[in-house]
Amino acid sequence: MAQDIKSWASKFKSLSDSDPAIASMSKYFTCTYLWDMTDRKVIIEMHDGKVKHINTDPQPLDPYDFALRASAASWREFGQPVPRPMFHGIWAASFREDLKIEGNHLIMMQNLRNFTLQFELLRKCGVPV
Amino acid sequence: MARHSPVTGRYVTIEVDGMEYKVFYLHNGKGQPLICQHTAGCHNHQWRGLLEDEEITKNYNVIAYDLPRHGKSDPPHNYEWWTEEYKLTKEHYVNFIVALCDALELDDPIFMGSSFGGNVALQLALRKPDRFKAVIPVEAAHYAPGFFLDWWRHPHANAAQVCASGVWDLMAPQSPEMDRWLTWHYYTQGAEAFKGDLYFYSVDHDLREELRNIDGKKCPVVMMTGTYDYLTPPDATEDTARQIKYGVYIEMTDIGHFPMSENYPVFRVYLKEALRIIRERTGG
Repeated sequence: MAQDIKSWASKFKSLSDSDPAIASMSKYFTCTYLWDMTDRKVIIEMHDGKVKHINTDPQPLDPYDFALRASAASWREFGQPVPRPMFHGIWAASFREDLKIEGNHLIMMQNLRNFTLQFELLRKCGVPV
Repeated sequence: MARHSPVTGRYVTIEVDGMEYKVFYLHNGKGQPLICQHTAGCHNHQWRGLLEDEEITKNYNVIAYDLPRHGKSDPPHNYEWWTEEYKLTKEHYVNFIVALCDALELDDPIFMGSSFGGNVALQLALRKPDRFKAVIPVEAAHYAPGFFLDWWRHPHANAAQVCASGVWDLMAPQSPEMDRWLTWHYYTQGAEAFKGDLYFYSVDHDLREELRNIDGKKCPVVMMTGTYDYLTPPDATEDTARQIKYGVYIEMTDIGHFPMSENYPVFRVYLKEALRIIRERTGG
């Protein structure tokens, strides 16, 4: 049974805002991204390293800079404490599984260090699908 | 009392295709030369575990060099290298390795390289089988397209962090955090050379029609790949080894694309097996 999305969002925000590796380079970690898990979508808005807002019910014209899209099954793999090979990161999954990285790739690259660490927080809080 | 390591470093100046290179290398051990190539955009600290491995250095003279433009090896001192885009070619790479081995007077060395170092190990087995006792291509394949990207050297992004975080999930989640972050740290330092190295790795290196010309009896080829390597996944390496006469493939479980740096204790188990196979096939 999938987690309630609002409690997942609260857990994720708490983990991210208290992560020391993210905090060590938080200034200018400012961007907005969509995680499309097929059955659920969230838009996470970051500002100077803190989660400003998590939109748990995005509408068609809600803006974001870039997106990760994959099947719900893949997201469940991302959320395992120790993911299987090829589900252990966004590069691995986009090269070898069904993850698509879309939108303004430059903004993702500019924030890649912290975005990579944030993605791995899913191993602690799981996914809402 | 100071805690000195037995590893020492030295420079040697060589000329390759008209380029003068002052090459830095670390070394420790005695006996059979084992010369080691780091991964693209990185440097010889990746071999820090092997260099201080007492069991292996008892019988192997481990030499880990920095390729020019990496670590402590400068770009060429007799060429205006800043006026053109760096792109490593297979010819220059092979010529460099042979020139370095000649300058160090290495007798029948084993060459081990990872990633683009593994790919050039295949090139050496093809082009210079008489110069090497054996090659150990780690995380390699006969063809590895898709990684020659502008992102590695993009003026609008922090290239140091793009290179380092872009290779982060080439490593296995099981590898110790400190060793993964050390590998990340090394990658922040090689951003200027990374893309040019990958020209060789993803564009110039293509042995799809030439694997049949490698003779693993003349120059043993022992390939090793980690199960978390998404660039050259295990089945890619296995496919390569299968097409090489007497080629060997060893799959390394729960480790990634930088095995010697991200988790040396796991890597050394497989390395010792590779060295054993080479001893068996070459009569010591």
